[in-house]
Amino acid sequence: MFLRMIRGAFSRQIKKMLMIALTIALGASLATAMLNVMLDVGDKVNQELKTYGANIIVVPKSTSVLNNLYEVEDGSATAGSYLKESELGKIKTIFWAFNIVDYAPFIEAQVTLPDGSGAVMTGSWFNHHMELPTGETLDTGIQNLRTWWDITAGDWINEQRDASENEIMVGEALAKRLGITAGDTLALSSGHADKTLSVVGVFSAGGDEDEEIFAPLGIAQEFAGAEGFCSSIEVSALTTPDNELAEKAARLGPGSLSVSQYETWYCTAYVSSICFQIQEVITDSVASPVRQVAESEGSILEKTELLMVLITILSLIGSALGITNLVTASVMERSNEIGLLKAIGATDGRISALILSEIMITGIVGAVIGYFAGIGFAQIIGRTVFQSSIEMKLLVIPVVAVLVLAVTLAGSIPAIRMLLRLRPAEVLHGR
Amino acid sequence: MNKRKFFLKMITSSLMRRRSRMLVALLAIAVGATILSGLVTIYYDVPRQMGAQFRNYGANMIFVSSSGDAEFTPEAAERAVAGIDASELVGYAPYRYETVLIHEQPLVAAGTDLAGAKATSPYWYIDGAWPAADGEMLVGNERAELLGLSVGDTVTVIYSTEQDEADEAGVTAEASLDMKVCGILETGGSEEEYIYLSMEDMERLTGNEGKLDLAELSISAPGEKLQSYAERISEAVPEISARLIKRVTESESTVLTKLQALVLLVTIVVLLLTMICVATTMTAVVTERRKEIGLRKALGASDREIIGEFMGEGLLLGGIGGLIGAGLGFAFAQMVSVNVFSSSISFQFWLIPVTILVSVAVTGLACLMPVRSATEVDPALVLKGE
Amino acid sequence: MSLLELNNISKIYGDLKALDNVSLKVDTGEWVAIMGPSGSGKSTLMNIIGCMDKPTSGEVILDGKDIAKESAKNLTAIRRDKIGLIFQQFHLVNYLTAVENVMVSQYYHSIPDEKEALEALARVGLAERARHLPSQLSGGEQQRVCIARALINYPEIVLADEPTGNLDEANENIVLDIFKQLHREGTTLIVVTHDPEVGEVAQRTITLEHGKILRDAKNPGFE
Repeated sequence: MFLRMIRGAFSRQIKKMLMIALTIALGASLATAMLNVMLDVGDKVNQELKTYGANIIVVPKSTSVLNNLYEVEDGSATAGSYLKESELGKIKTIFWAFNIVDYAPFIEAQVTLPDGSGAVMTGSWFNHHMELPTGETLDTGIQNLRTWWDITAGDWINEQRDASENEIMVGEALAKRLGITAGDTLALSSGHADKTLSVVGVFSAGGDEDEEIFAPLGIAQEFAGAEGFCSSIEVSALTTPDNELAEKAARLGPGSLSVSQYETWYCTAYVSSICFQIQEVITDSVASPVRQVAESEGSILEKTELLMVLITILSLIGSALGITNLVTASVMERSNEIGLLKAIGATDGRISALILSEIMITGIVGAVIGYFAGIGFAQIIGRTVFQSSIEMKLLVIPVVAVLVLAVTLAGSIPAIRMLLRLRPAEVLHGR
Repeated sequence: MNKRKFFLKMITSSLMRRRSRMLVALLAIAVGATILSGLVTIYYDVPRQMGAQFRNYGANMIFVSSSGDAEFTPEAAERAVAGIDASELVGYAPYRYETVLIHEQPLVAAGTDLAGAKATSPYWYIDGAWPAADGEMLVGNERAELLGLSVGDTVTVIYSTEQDEADEAGVTAEASLDMKVCGILETGGSEEEYIYLSMEDMERLTGNEGKLDLAELSISAPGEKLQSYAERISEAVPEISARLIKRVTESESTVLTKLQALVLLVTIVVLLLTMICVATTMTAVVTERRKEIGLRKALGASDREIIGEFMGEGLLLGGIGGLIGAGLGFAFAQMVSVNVFSSSISFQFWLIPVTILVSVAVTGLACLMPVRSATEVDPALVLKGE
Repeated sequence: MSLLELNNISKIYGDLKALDNVSLKVDTGEWVAIMGPSGSGKSTLMNIIGCMDKPTSGEVILDGKDIAKESAKNLTAIRRDKIGLIFQQFHLVNYLTAVENVMVSQYYHSIPDEKEALEALARVGLAERARHLPSQLSGGEQQRVCIARALINYPEIVLADEPTGNLDEANENIVLDIFKQLHREGTTLIVVTHDPEVGEVAQRTITLEHGKILRDAKNPGFE
């Protein structure tokens, strides 16, 4: 009989039930979408922040001289202060290999231009193709690490083309000085090599790189006389904003941590633990965070995540109130029916059970529909904003389920209690 | 009592005496309006607030000399800086580089306005303290290791005039200054090779003043505006060429655009769903009153009059809900701003009327549909009313 | 000329003939009871007289004008001007006080006049209860508010649908006394009922069965 009454209620009030289901579905989809976006926004923004370039720089341990920004002096490195090119692949084998988005080796060589003046040639990867031991492939290089470069003439060097060995790119300022552009050739010499190379592209970097020549790693190694070596590696990694533990590890070194702290630290993608892991695989290297990038990333990530958390909370409250509201309204609307049920002798318990099960069934249907709609909304947001899909977190399912259950109950119970207090005769007489 | 008065009386009675139902409706509208005004305020404030965060990346514009040889005067730089809106200027740091000797080793010393450097390069990590008095300096981490310096040490910094000049004069002019290392600078970049001292110390050391090699500026403004600043400055102060640091400006606009798109899209989705929620609640509230609509029809009310009354009620509710929501939404946005960005939000006054209008429109539309369908029903059927 | 004249009206719902070729006349000042069991067509007849429904065929002449073919909009206007309705379930607006409920009717008709509305309530003996909400009134009192509302615009016809259906004996008598009073004042009354006691006090009783008029007779007991 009970089931029959529920079925009866559904067929009679199909429209009303549909509306409740719709509202619950809307609320649930909002919760699902916002929770999923919120949980994934960190990774997504992190990816976006990679446009700032490398956040870790790896240099040989023995050298202390980096090529400085303002070209005040030239630190021509000695033979001992190089990193081995053959070890580069190992960076993709560290614990947090998955978080290494891009990286590229660099080597500098002093070259003499046809007019006798000197210039810096920097060798690097452009879109280097790598086959990883894990079977994955990776295309990495400065094409990804110098997203702010404008190619003013020609194109990037394409390493994956056969003829790329003798190609170079020239900075805008230097190109202007030499009066060359893409398609020209340039004869360069140094103490180690003497070659004529073809210019495939001119770039504007908005910095000192505008005065430099960029060449594939092999050519620059020849000119520097350091085959098989590089002088620094820039690494762009997805990192977790630092907390106290990470600060401590960075300040005092990993040795200062207790065993469990060390494990937590090692297994979290802090910039310091990634640096540590890189040092482990690259012989005689020092990996340090580029504070300009790493710091700012941390704060921007944190702010964005907090912002999304608060917006999510607002929309959760909004959808909770929305559902509670409609459920209350629809229960109150049924005063007549409740009066009738009481008049024919139904106990309060049975009436409550009847109404609650109706609403719960509606709620479950609505929540399931809403969950899938919410996934759709999350994907729309992900695709539109980040051009990649939002990862679905299983955690969202119980959260949404509990939310819907709680707000549906919260919406119906006070209304039912209120109606049960009414005397049947009053209700039936339409007061 | 005239017709309009009675109309108002009916509407207000309906709102006041059916309190629980009306609260339900009002709550729904207020929640919707809160979300609307809160999210839109945040949406408008995100670029500004986030932009400030992006200034952590440091300088986005530099001044260099426009004539090939590297120097320009501080006065020219001051004039150029004056052209930038003070509220947008986060930091300005002039730099002068000289080669000096410490422990017989050549290295680069940078003279700067240290407070300005702190503002333009917020990512600098100082082990120790920022120089507070004359005779104090920062030493880059690399350089400190190389020279074996640590915080608290005092060293002699020697400045010698350039070699060729010295040859002509036959002697090498030398000046020296005892400087205390008050902090070790860590950046992970080339700054770690330098030492940093105040411009005054630099001038005392070198014995001449009035020249700069470079100036860094951190300006909180979108890309196009920076570009126009750079062009204006290069034009107004011919000895200076203002350049954007592409790495910072380009990346900032890329990321900021995405962030704003994210908040926009989230706002749209949340608003859309909330508005539908408000509409369904209003529909439920109105549908409940079909009987009353039937009665009014039986008493001789025209469809227009009935729609007018219900809309009047709806619009009043929408207005009140919108007003409450506009206030709560601002409070929410303010809370977000204080918690996330630790600064207060800029209040968009136009949002109040817009929030109210949207609430009124949504409520009106949500009422209109069920009222319309109710007026189409035969009053006799409604009144017989099961 | 009669105030209301129904000529050969039929109302057909699908296969069901709710009214089958019914003709009747009601003169000004008459008190007519329409009786019959459930399904006899009295509700349909009442709806047609009350301008809330239209016959499938036939003429409805009210005040010399055929309203059978009028649009719903015009019917609403006619109902507002000429008909006063009394319902079995009273149908008061639950958030308006007694006097305001009466004024609603004035409002749609012309302009609300509180003094007049209070007088109307006084006539049905509710002067004291004018400021109460329907939920604070008994069934009989609510019905009297409903009557006051029906009378307020001086309708040509007062149409009552089972006016005592929801009332106890005492309240039924109060309502019937008001009807007698109205009749004496010259109001045209049409009462639809299945209660013989209510039917008997009328001047004339029309009995319906299966959509046809079974009997139409002056009431011998009418004083």
